[in-house]
Amino acid sequence: MLGLVLLLASAAPDTAVDACQALDSRGEPYPICFDPGDGLVLGTRARISSAGMARAVRTGVHIRAGRSSRSKGSPWFNNHRLMTAELWDGAQRGFTVTAYDGTLRRHLEEGFILLPTARPVRVPFPFDVTVAARLGHLERRFWEGAGWTLETGRVGLLLDPLRSETERVWLGVGPSATHAVRRGRDGEQHTVAPFTELLLDAGLESADGLSALRASALAGWSLGIERGVYFRARADLGLERVVLAVADQPVVLQVAGAYAHRDAGLARRSEWTASVGLALRALGTRR
Amino acid sequence: MLATAVPLVGALLLAQPGSEAPVLQPPSSPRPALTWGAPTACLMLPPTQHVPSGAWRAQCDDDAQRCRVAPVRELDADGVETDRPLSRATPCTVSLDDETAARVMAYRMEPARVDAPPGWYRDERGRVMQFNFDLNRRVWLGGAWTPMSHDGQVMSRMRADFGIAVEVPSRGGKTLHRLRFLETELHLGVHSLDLALARYDFSIQREDPLLRVTSFLGKPRRHDLYLNMGLWMEALHLEQLKRDGQVARFLSLGAFHAAFDLWHSRDLVSYVRVRAGAGIESDLVHRFNALAPSAALEGDLTLDRDGFHHFRMSAEVETLLLAPRVEGRPRRPERLRVQAGYEVILLAINDQPLSLLVDGRGVRRDDIAGVPERWEWSASAGLRFSLWAPARRSAPIAARE
Repeated sequence: MLGLVLLLASAAPDTAVDACQALDSRGEPYPICFDPGDGLVLGTRARISSAGMARAVRTGVHIRAGRSSRSKGSPWFNNHRLMTAELWDGAQRGFTVTAYDGTLRRHLEEGFILLPTARPVRVPFPFDVTVAARLGHLERRFWEGAGWTLETGRVGLLLDPLRSETERVWLGVGPSATHAVRRGRDGEQHTVAPFTELLLDAGLESADGLSALRASALAGWSLGIERGVYFRARADLGLERVVLAVADQPVVLQVAGAYAHRDAGLARRSEWTASVGLALRALGTRR
Repeated sequence: MLATAVPLVGALLLAQPGSEAPVLQPPSSPRPALTWGAPTACLMLPPTQHVPSGAWRAQCDDDAQRCRVAPVRELDADGVETDRPLSRATPCTVSLDDETAARVMAYRMEPARVDAPPGWYRDERGRVMQFNFDLNRRVWLGGAWTPMSHDGQVMSRMRADFGIAVEVPSRGGKTLHRLRFLETELHLGVHSLDLALARYDFSIQREDPLLRVTSFLGKPRRHDLYLNMGLWMEALHLEQLKRDGQVARFLSLGAFHAAFDLWHSRDLVSYVRVRAGAGIESDLVHRFNALAPSAALEGDLTLDRDGFHHFRMSAEVETLLLAPRVEGRPRRPERLRVQAGYEVILLAINDQPLSLLVDGRGVRRDDIAGVPERWEWSASAGLRFSLWAPARRSAPIAARE
């Protein structure tokens, strides 16, 4: 993993704007840098799990937007993913739809805690603060029978020790709160994690945007509204590499793996999945 | 002050070799401060031990023949400039032509503290931090311990809360619009959920009095009475709770109240008011709609200039009319809610406030079928983390060093 990280970090030197364009034989420029966090994504992949291999399609709108806070005068690095959906067939047919999934990181050159004494005291706080939110994550597994799982909302307050000045590197860790509903044959079951789960969200992208690594993990306890305490953990790791561009729109090779511990489906199963596939990332910005 | 809109090139003249460079005076105590928003020039002075770059910001006074100067970059712990530029300082908008630069060269150069915008404090190293917070404009996320008591029993509960608050004043400052979105309180332990999609209200300061009362006891005096009538409305307010094994779900589709400010602060932010009106409420368990008239006395007070201390209270009575008979509850159920709370900002993390919230609440209701009418008392103590929370509109310039 360390080697992979070093490879990504050194995949391309810091490039100027001109370095993101090459000239063809006629002298016409074409883009060779892309933003991995931006574009309309449409892809297909092979999804491998203990039940065998299945085909999957996925789609979503990714928006990366940096902005400067008017009220605080510091930059925000924001990643938004809208209407992300994945549908897979095979023996364990199912789909997931996520209305919104995003991270908003506010970067300070020198983080601090203000103690409001008569003369304000500034205590060093070497972290950026990130808000990670996910709204409306629905999972339906047809092979489990009637029912679905809906995570109505999840919000995490993450601390980022890397405090990167670019949108290309981030590492946020912190508590998160979640509300989820599982509706099965026996009715609805509501669970809430009142900041009793730990969320990790990390990403690393090459300067030219051709390679990207993203990892996320979640572990902790949630409480049943009626009864019960449930421990769950899950981890996702994804690597993507632009392999070609069609009409200047990048086509990306994606390799991913995930493990869920007592969190998959209505029955809170433990399971692993791995996938490999291609995706077109259209209408995105270029670096 | 120096005139603006002259060529920038002259700014470097003050430090040119061979010319008689101005001498930086030793710092005085207390050190004066640059004025926020005043015309500012960027100057190059001879390098010093603490400011080797020689780059300074200056505000000059032609009458006093004096320039107050401060480094353009932040300082380290030893007082030596770093490579980090000052943030949130008045930008250099004044440039010096040759003639002005020659004249300024003869001025006294007095070291000064860098200016900071209203609501922000700058320490001796030039680092800026927010010390004034508007908790009426924020996105908050919080948790609290909220034990509850009824009939002599005490039950432990936890609460998670969330909400978005926005305030928008009118152009003349005579009206203040308040908006709240997704105000949510979820109690665990003894379950209840209270979620309001949107609330809107406004306070207004009328210019014309409703009644002009003149007293003639002694010197004639005018005592004008203003009718500061506003509006309060709410859309999609869900209340779900479980008591004694009975589940109740009430969805208020919409409510409109007339709101009358008994008192409000000059900036309309703090208020004490009464409001009364009605809404349409849907009982999701028994599946019928009812008319829900209610009245409330409520107050929201910001107790200090910097927005650190807040007191809120309310007492509300509500009844359900035009509801069909439900077994196990009266024909016209009633609810009475009282609460008072105090919120204080403990500290700020990267300019985002973390506050302590304590409150006490009481509810008496007979609208849940099968649950006897009784008082439920609860207290809470918890923390809230607020995003956004800009400086208040009335924030002052920091006077502290």
